[in-house]
Amino acid sequence: MKKHYSEYPPLDPNTVVASKNGLTALWRLMSGYHGHYLLSALMLAISATARAGIYLFLGWFVDHILKESRFGSELLLSAAGFVGLILVQATSSFLSNQLAAQTAESSTRRLRDMLFDHIQRLSFAYHAEVKTGDLLERASSDVDTLRRFISDQAVGVARIITIFIINFTAIMQLNTQLALVSIIIVPVILVVSILFFRKLSKAYEAYQEQEAVISTNLQENLSGVRVVKAFARQTFEIDKFEKNNYEKYKRGRKLNLMHSLFWPISDTFCAAQLVGSNILAAFMAIDGVITLGNYISFTGLLGWLIWPIRNLGRLIVDTSRALVSLKRVTEVLRVAQEPLLEGSYIPAQGVQGSISFDHVSFAYEKDRPVLEDISFECQAGQVVALLGSTGSGKTSLVNLLPRFYDVTAGKILLDGVDLREYPRHYLRSQIGIVEQEPFLFSCSIRDNITYGMTREVSQEEVEEAAREAAIHDVIMEFANGYDTLVGERGVTLSGGQKQRVAIARTLLINPRILILDDSTSSVDMETEVEIRQALQTLMENRTTFIIAHRIQSIMSADLILVFDQGKIVQSGTHDRLIQQTGIYRSIYEIQTRIDSALQEEIDRVHVL
Amino acid sequence: MSTYYDENELDDNVPIKSNVLKRLFSTLRPHWKALLGGVIAIVVVSLLDAYFTILSKRIIDEGIILQNKAAILRLFTIYGAIVLVQAVSVFFFVYLVGLQGEGVRYDLRKNLFNHLQDLSLSYFSKTPLGWIMSRVTSDTEKMAELLTWGVIDTAYAAVSIVVSAIFMLTINWQLAIIVLLSLPVMIYAALKFRLRIYHHYRLSRKANSRMTASLNENITGVRVVKALRREDRNLNDFKVLSSAMYRSSYRAAYLSALFQPTIQMISAVSLGLILWRGGIKVELGAITIGGLQAFVSYIMMILWPIQDLARVYADMQNAVASSERVFSLIDTQPGINNRPDAASVPSLAGDIAFEDVSFRYEEDEPVIRNLSFQIPYGQSVALVGPTGGGKTTIVNLLCRFYEPTEGVIRIAGKDYMDLTLQTIQSRIGVVLQTPHLFSGSIRENIRYGKLDATDQEIEDAAKLAGAHNFITHFEHGYDQNVGEGGNLLSVGQKQLISIARAILSNPDIFVMDEATSSVDTLTEALIQNGMEKLMTGRTSFIIAHRLSTIKNADKILVIRDGQIAESGNHNELMLLKGHYYRLYTQQFRHELESKLDPYSDAPAASETI
Repeated sequence: MKKHYSEYPPLDPNTVVASKNGLTALWRLMSGYHGHYLLSALMLAISATARAGIYLFLGWFVDHILKESRFGSELLLSAAGFVGLILVQATSSFLSNQLAAQTAESSTRRLRDMLFDHIQRLSFAYHAEVKTGDLLERASSDVDTLRRFISDQAVGVARIITIFIINFTAIMQLNTQLALVSIIIVPVILVVSILFFRKLSKAYEAYQEQEAVISTNLQENLSGVRVVKAFARQTFEIDKFEKNNYEKYKRGRKLNLMHSLFWPISDTFCAAQLVGSNILAAFMAIDGVITLGNYISFTGLLGWLIWPIRNLGRLIVDTSRALVSLKRVTEVLRVAQEPLLEGSYIPAQGVQGSISFDHVSFAYEKDRPVLEDISFECQAGQVVALLGSTGSGKTSLVNLLPRFYDVTAGKILLDGVDLREYPRHYLRSQIGIVEQEPFLFSCSIRDNITYGMTREVSQEEVEEAAREAAIHDVIMEFANGYDTLVGERGVTLSGGQKQRVAIARTLLINPRILILDDSTSSVDMETEVEIRQALQTLMENRTTFIIAHRIQSIMSADLILVFDQGKIVQSGTHDRLIQQTGIYRSIYEIQTRIDSALQEEIDRVHVL
Repeated sequence: MSTYYDENELDDNVPIKSNVLKRLFSTLRPHWKALLGGVIAIVVVSLLDAYFTILSKRIIDEGIILQNKAAILRLFTIYGAIVLVQAVSVFFFVYLVGLQGEGVRYDLRKNLFNHLQDLSLSYFSKTPLGWIMSRVTSDTEKMAELLTWGVIDTAYAAVSIVVSAIFMLTINWQLAIIVLLSLPVMIYAALKFRLRIYHHYRLSRKANSRMTASLNENITGVRVVKALRREDRNLNDFKVLSSAMYRSSYRAAYLSALFQPTIQMISAVSLGLILWRGGIKVELGAITIGGLQAFVSYIMMILWPIQDLARVYADMQNAVASSERVFSLIDTQPGINNRPDAASVPSLAGDIAFEDVSFRYEEDEPVIRNLSFQIPYGQSVALVGPTGGGKTTIVNLLCRFYEPTEGVIRIAGKDYMDLTLQTIQSRIGVVLQTPHLFSGSIRENIRYGKLDATDQEIEDAAKLAGAHNFITHFEHGYDQNVGEGGNLLSVGQKQLISIARAILSNPDIFVMDEATSSVDTLTEALIQNGMEKLMTGRTSFIIAHRLSTIKNADKILVIRDGQIAESGNHNELMLLKGHYYRLYTQQFRHELESKLDPYSDAPAASETI
């Protein structure tokens, strides 16, 4: 198969999960790109040094070229020197950002793939419990927060600190006293900005919350448009929206006020430092403690020492957000995967299909058994029908066969061998499942039919399967035939059509064991007959478990199990069960009662 | 919240249309004072910014070089004073512009929402909800962004560039020309970069939405993925998507990284030239050292406004595209309006007649064809027939959610087009198949039927509907929160509440779309009971699925292909042995089966009768 993506260094999720603290975990997420990242940091330092160099050189230029009147080739050389320094600064700053971006994009891409794979290999129990939206959020927006952290925030913090250190060192070179005086304000600015951004981020959250309120309001109004119109409640709705809208306006104003106070106030602080230091430096220059060139260098360097500190507060506040996202991501990674290949028994001649349940019990939660002490046996190729109300344990029982869940007590034998000895992957390749309303993927109908196939499948084979599943004619009615897309971008299939696509899918896989959810209540009678025939074809020569809703479809089953509250209350063939008093017979009798009631109903009309 | 967008909303090279831009700026009108104040403040800020450089020059030339400490103190005092003035200006411009931005957002949202209330049902049935949502949320955001920070950044950039240019020209015009010549090159490069970056950024957003969709599908379909052992192949498929995301996202980051250094390099060339030519000028005494330093500062500073300008231009493309969509929504005509001389009447009690009514959404595709029938006041009508036959359309016509393309609908003898919409819709009570509740309490939801109802009236209505019992079993009773869209309640409970809501509104005409989904037997009986209460003393139209409802109706209309296939009462129709007979016997079986079946977990038949 042609690949449309490049490879990248592998990373074991366990090393990330095993990290003791957040920063170590982040570091491990970047493994394979550590070199890039360190190089990026180095380039950052070079860039900052070159920038400081430009100012120092400017001072030297004033002192030694301009004041000493060396206007010959030295002037031209110095001018070239400036261009050279800027070139170094620009190039290293580009490389630094580029390397950081590469690290961030590459490691988040790997993380995305890792999460995708991890999530699809988590156990059924996990998926049953977790909310799709939450999982999606973790795999998309939390990952994106991490990406921004690696590419912007971590680099940003490093940049500000590096620039500070290098500019400070440069000023130290000019004059120690000047350097020390110039950073008096720095701790103040830092503390103020951290406090401010912490407060700001709260106000921002409040603003976002109101945004969500507005969205909900709008969505309810739009989806309930018939109700709004039916009760002629437009004015009421407008007033309600107005209230929420105005609340958002108010919160926005508050946020705005905070911004409009912080920036000028911190500006003033910084400027006070600037003025103070500059006066000192100017006096020093007059007194000959430093040169004029030193003064000019200093004024340039000073700006880079003070202003960036204001943003440090924001970056630090953002860091805490990244750590929260990281925690949410590692929580998912920490959940153990389903060991798909665990188990060693793969029969040489393939699976035959005889199954026996030996005192099987099963519970999702401790002490709340869903299945209790289930024992029965069936031969290869036989049909077992499961009958019972919702929650009686039918679905739980069939979920045990492909080992979506494992038994809590007892054992299930397939061809005499405990299920737990078969690798899950192998086992699942032997079992076909057709659900009442099967899940189809938003790809073409052909891709859906060949979804379970590991080999190339010819068009003839696909069509043959579709014909046997009584769906071929329906597919041919679509403009694009088998290439028609399913879902939002294509056609919406009815429940019965989806079921027949799933039957075709299962026919191709040709499994030894079949699990059917036999409910045809959502289709008209003609389709019902077609589906029934398709199912008959599918069941030939396979051990079949039917979750049955109607008696007609199970009369010919080799074994009927009647469930009630997790236990088998009746079992046997139709002929035997019909002899016993019990649930089975009463269900059976309903059919005849319906027929006579209908006749009565019709007769009543005629009499009138 | 997930945002919805069409993929072609992310296309490049949207032309900036001047008429759209003009209209966009006209939304600023109510806020012109704040904007003007903000612009004045930002002009002051940028003037002072440029002036700082002049001050620094004077400090060097008049203070340090002339060894004059008094001058230094004086100049720095001015410097400090200007800092304070500038701080005040910064406060005003951030505050005023922010205020104006919130104001514009508020106005746009309000206008859109209010306009949406007037649009007809057919608009909502053809426009995806997500599309409308994006217009109100994200598009208004982009418009406001351009109208505030876009305007301000442009003002700042323009003033900075112009003022710097003037100062440079006054210091030394030959050197200034060198800088000014490099400006267009920088602006052109900045613009090219911005547009390329946006292009890749859009691609990455597209890739991201595909990636999320794929992940979503894999989670919701995990059972099939596991059963069919698709893990490895799905991972490979996903890798294709995630690497597409990687490529465009990295490309955008790469260009961003290259952007500033490139502009800087262009400026470096002019800086080198200035220092070389400037050095010679210093020798000739044509420029002071301070003046030369000022030039260096200007060159380093001018990078920022240029990058701002490029960004605003690129944003403008987005904002104009957003505006176009928003304006197209605002320009959508309501479709259903009151006629100029429409009358309001206090009551709609009277016979209802459809006279040769036809309806079509599109030319040549009639949904309803030449429909005529008459219902005496107080009677009940059951509409039955296959899905898509036109039952819902008939009800929508009656409520005047749609208007007939041909023919007349008369209520109490009057053509209902001569009545106001308000009259008709406030006198019709509707209970929908999938009941819609609003977030809030049960009480608020029932009160929706009559806004000035007392608590007692609400309780009475709930009692009549048979909802009182289950409501009082909630911890907070009538104040129980129903959740978003009412999803904390069961379908049956929602239906009972919507019946109570309809009872409270005391309509002359009652319309109900019976639910096909199964509810438990007790709730079912309660609903039947509530419906009967509602049906007494008023004309009712029921899209019916339940045998008892159908049999009890005064008149049954079998609707197929937009026409009345059969009509009459139960007995008459049974004797015909036609469509109704078949539908009825089929439904009879289904209903009895689910009633008698001890395992009645299968949903009741949805084949509609």
